This record gives sequence, structure tokens and C-alpha cells, in this order.
Amino acid sequence: MNDEMTVEAEIRRYSPGEDAGPRYERYVVTGAGNMRVLDVIRRIYATSAGDLAFQFACRIGRCGTCAVKVNGVPVLACQERCVPRMRIEPLTPFPVIRDLVIDRTEIEERYARLALTPAPPAAGAAQPLPMDPGLAERIGHLDSCLACMICVSACPAVAERPFDGPAFMLKLGYMHKHPANDQDRVDSAMESGLLECFGCDACTQLCPADLSPAQEIRELRRDAVLGARSRS
Amino acid sequence: MRTHAIALPRDTTRQSRGLLIGNVSRLLHRVSGVVIILFVLAHTLVQAVRHFPPLMFLNAAWLGPLQQQPWLHGVLYFSLVFHTLYGLRLLVGDLGVRIDYRLSLWGIVGLSLLPLLREWGRYAGF
Repeated sequence: MNDEMTVEAEIRRYSPGEDAGPRYERYVVTGAGNMRVLDVIRRIYATSAGDLAFQFACRIGRCGTCAVKVNGVPVLACQERCVPRMRIEPLTPFPVIRDLVIDRTEIEERYARLALTPAPPAAGAAQPLPMDPGLAERIGHLDSCLACMICVSACPAVAERPFDGPAFMLKLGYMHKHPANDQDRVDSAMESGLLECFGCDACTQLCPADLSPAQEIRELRRDAVLGARSRS
Repeated sequence: MRTHAIALPRDTTRQSRGLLIGNVSRLLHRVSGVVIILFVLAHTLVQAVRHFPPLMFLNAAWLGPLQQQPWLHGVLYFSLVFHTLYGLRLLVGDLGVRIDYRLSLWGIVGLSLLPLLREWGRYAGF
């Protein structure tokens, strides 16, 4: 089970402003048979490429910081098992700060623009918000989005159309269901490209938190067509 | 039983392997749509060449045999059925019906293969 394996990793190296263009550097790493992509990256950093830029935090798949593309598929580096040949790249379509680190400024700005915070209770209302247990469970599940941007990177509609991406739709869907919501989230979703989604569920398949942004998009679309009363 | 409770991250260890279902369904839907458009264009052209007197001089000998190609019929029938059913699946999903994306894709592919195989079987004499 824990046999050794040798991995041939090609890492995209690029430092805007310093390099003329991106290049792929090849590294060979030998380690445990069940090592993850992040283990390979850290080993390369420690032994061969001390100037390699990458980021991680929790190492248990909860923070979403280490998301990269492996052989063209966005994954969490700390969770993804290695294959013998890997091409490791930063997430697309985001601007690269350096090597595997993307610039999340625009992502944070989009989240801020969508005002994804439930409205504060009225002054003096110290009581907790009454909420149906089923709805609370559903909202809690939706709130476990890591904002890792794997879904956005995998989304073909983001690459082709004016669509913010599944992660933002999921958050809008979360707020749309939240009892303390005081904005028209369907309207916000429409402005963010709700109708541009192909409905392919690539986001659902790849979400490391086992969420389904595509289902949230479908529910937002249903409410856009039939109205919020159609909610079951 | 599946619940919506906050869950630990699922085992994502082999996500980059295998088919990305969304890409398969999207490409099949797109390619089948292109096949249908090409068929409609070709069909209109052929009918014009065959029945519109000023264009009859173009009525090439290859038109007849081309229309008897079983693989062409099979691909066309597959495209028609797949594009229709997958389009309906998207529509139904947008109206709130929960459909598993893997099951629906392979189910629709299976149903779409039936007329293709029937057509090919017919030409093969089965």
C-alpha cells in the first residue's frame, strides 16, 4: 500500500515582470506510494527549487489554498494522489503572481460586491433567528464552500462567456435561501451570468467540499422563471 | 442516507483521473447540435438541387449514394435523439427537478445509441 513511487513532475514556472514567458521545469521525486501532489511540490521546493512559489495552509482539504491544476484538471494539491507523470499549473483563468500562486484580488472583490453577509438583526433583537432545521442543515452545508476556485477553473462557461462562475452562484444561492437575506439574489445572479451556465456539472464533480454549485444554479434559474414560491 | 450536514472533505484523491463527465456531456451536446445543423443545411441544399430547375444541373451522381450511407444515418439519428433528450434534461433541471448528472448522461447516451445500432443493424441485414 505504501510502496515507494517515482513521480515526474513538470511545474509551470513564471514570474511576470521577470520572465519573458512561462516555462515548464521537470523534476523527479521519489516518495511514498500514497503521497499527494502537495508532498511533491514541497519536496521539490525543499530539494531542487527553493525559489518555487506555491501556497498551502491546512493540508487537510479545508482551506482551499493549495488548489492547482494537475494534468489540466483543477484539484486540491493536498488531497490529490500523485500519478507517475504530472503537469502542475496554477489555476486558470486567474492572473498569476508567481509560479503556482494566483492573484485572488478580483475574487475577493467579486465576493465583496455580492455582499454575501446576512443582514444584521434589527436593533434590540437579541433573539437568535428562527430557522427550520432542514433549512439550517442545508445552509450549513452550502456554507462549507472553501472558495478554492476549483469549480471556476473547471467551468467551461467561465472560459467562453461572461459568467462569474459556479462558486459565486453557490454563494448567491446560499444567500437566496438564508432567512436573513434582504436582497434580490436572483437578480444579482442574473447580472453575474446565471443564464450562461451550460449545466454540465463539471463543478459538482470536482468540488472538494462535495457541494453542487450546478444544483444551486438550477434552483436560482427555477426561481428566476417560476418565482421564489416554487421552492420546495 | 445522504444528509446536507457540514461534511469533511470527500476523498478527492483521484479526481484528475478518468472522465470529466461535464466535458463529455457538453462536447456531445455541442457536436450533436452541429451535426443536426449540418444535416439541415445539406438536406435543404440537396432538395434544392433535386427539385429546383435552375439548380438541377448540379444534381451530381454522388448525391444518391451519399444519402444511403448507413453510418451517416446512424450518426444523424444518434445526434437527433441525444440533442433532444439532453436538451430536455437541461430544461427539466432548470425547472427544479434534481437529476444525477452521471446517470442522466449515460442513460441518454444509451437511449441515443439504440436508433444508431438499429440503423446499422438494418443495413447489416439483422
